[in-house]
Amino acid sequence: MIKIELPDALRSLAGGAREIAVEAGSVSEALDELGRLYPEARLRILTRGGQVRPHVNLFVRERDIRAHDGLNTVLEDGDSLLVVPSVAGG
Amino acid sequence: MVLDKRLAELRDRIQQLSPAKAHERLVAGAVLIDVRDPGELAQGMPAGAHALSRDELEMRIDQLAPPEAPVMLICASGPRSLLAADTLARLGYEQVAVVTGGMQRWKREGLPCTRPEGIDDDGAERYARQLNLPEIGIEGQAKLADARVLLVGAGGLGSPAALYLAAAGIGTIGLVDDDRVDRSNLHRQVVHRDDRVGTPKTDSARATLEALNPNIDVRTHQVRLNSDNVEEIFSNYRIIVDGSDNFPTRYLVNDACIRLGLPNVYGAVQRFEGRVSVFAAGGRPCYRCLFSEPPDPEFAPSCSEAGVLGVVPGVIGLLQALEVIKLATGVGEPLIGRLLLFDALGTRMRELALGPDPGCRYCADDREFPGYVDYAEFCSGRASQDLETND
Ligand SMILES: [Zn+2]
Repeated sequence: MIKIELPDALRSLAGGAREIAVEAGSVSEALDELGRLYPEARLRILTRGGQVRPHVNLFVRERDIRAHDGLNTVLEDGDSLLVVPSVAGG
Repeated sequence: MVLDKRLAELRDRIQQLSPAKAHERLVAGAVLIDVRDPGELAQGMPAGAHALSRDELEMRIDQLAPPEAPVMLICASGPRSLLAADTLARLGYEQVAVVTGGMQRWKREGLPCTRPEGIDDDGAERYARQLNLPEIGIEGQAKLADARVLLVGAGGLGSPAALYLAAAGIGTIGLVDDDRVDRSNLHRQVVHRDDRVGTPKTDSARATLEALNPNIDVRTHQVRLNSDNVEEIFSNYRIIVDGSDNFPTRYLVNDACIRLGLPNVYGAVQRFEGRVSVFAAGGRPCYRCLFSEPPDPEFAPSCSEAGVLGVVPGVIGLLQALEVIKLATGVGEPLIGRLLLFDALGTRMRELALGPDPGCRYCADDREFPGYVDYAEFCSGRASQDLETND
């Protein structure tokens, strides 16, 4: 089981949940699962073409997935995928 | 009780001199060491004495006097100099004496005092509890006084940062903001006050900061930061604090910091969440390594639209102030290459590792500066383009 941790800004698009549990073997699969449950939430993270949006970062084991294997980063049971979008508020 | 007994025993075997006698010997060339903390030294020390705290005594005494030379020690009132004398005796110093009544009696008797360089009467008193930290001390305080820090935004993040940086003695604080104080700002923008609603934020903030600490220089820039004025303003400062409330300004701050080689102390908040990081001079990583481009405006409500609990920018703004003080003094480990996330609802802090983006257009190796971007247009124009091409 993988835990997707959603930022405050995306929770309203996922039924208010802070965390979504999915079965997935990679970041890409986890986001596909998220998309099946909450298509709009996925669309805030990935473009329709499937690229991570430039104002969003994804972290696995406290490191940017770009420092792992990008969307192909392998997830193991118990891992969490943290979604960090850009916010500008001050 | 144990200490009393020990001190009594030390008094029996260590020579004690009146301040007047110690002064006489000092003038004749004997070594006098003040073993008090930097914060106490800042209030004045015997003219001609050397400052050496008890922590440093064993390591550095031989630079001041060989074991066969006479050495006199002074502290605030007596006990610490006795303990220090014991330390020296164990190291083999044979002619050790202490000044009875310590600095208190020295001053009372009107003997000559001096103050370590770089601190005046007001500073010695104002920063006493900070000077007492060996990591800061007089040297660190002087670095704070020399620091030139620009706060971009005198709002939710800039307010707490400005208050604490002014209090800490940052010598030059600049404020950039073109906005006026609104009553709806006051739940979080604590540098302002109700009776200043309608006045420029820069003026309001300056009045508060000068009232808090009249010995710093507060400079105001009542303009909206743009690509024409950003370099002229930034070039007067050494550390930039990004407390802005919109994406165009944040990218402008990042790009100008890369261009001018300035560190960017970044903070941002929304609703119940905040984050903070330090992008070092030259970046790698920089803000664009993290978020290469701003989101579409529809995805990015500003603070005023999205709502924010006032305490959240308070926490984040103070973390930014902390990072500024660390950068200015060189103390501690700055938040470079790390992103700290604060979740107010769960009261959790989480640290993420940030790396440089090798393809970053602004900070990657050997990049020519690509210029500033007109973000207002960029965001709205880009939004429709993005939908067509990428979506
Ligand atoms: Zn960069």
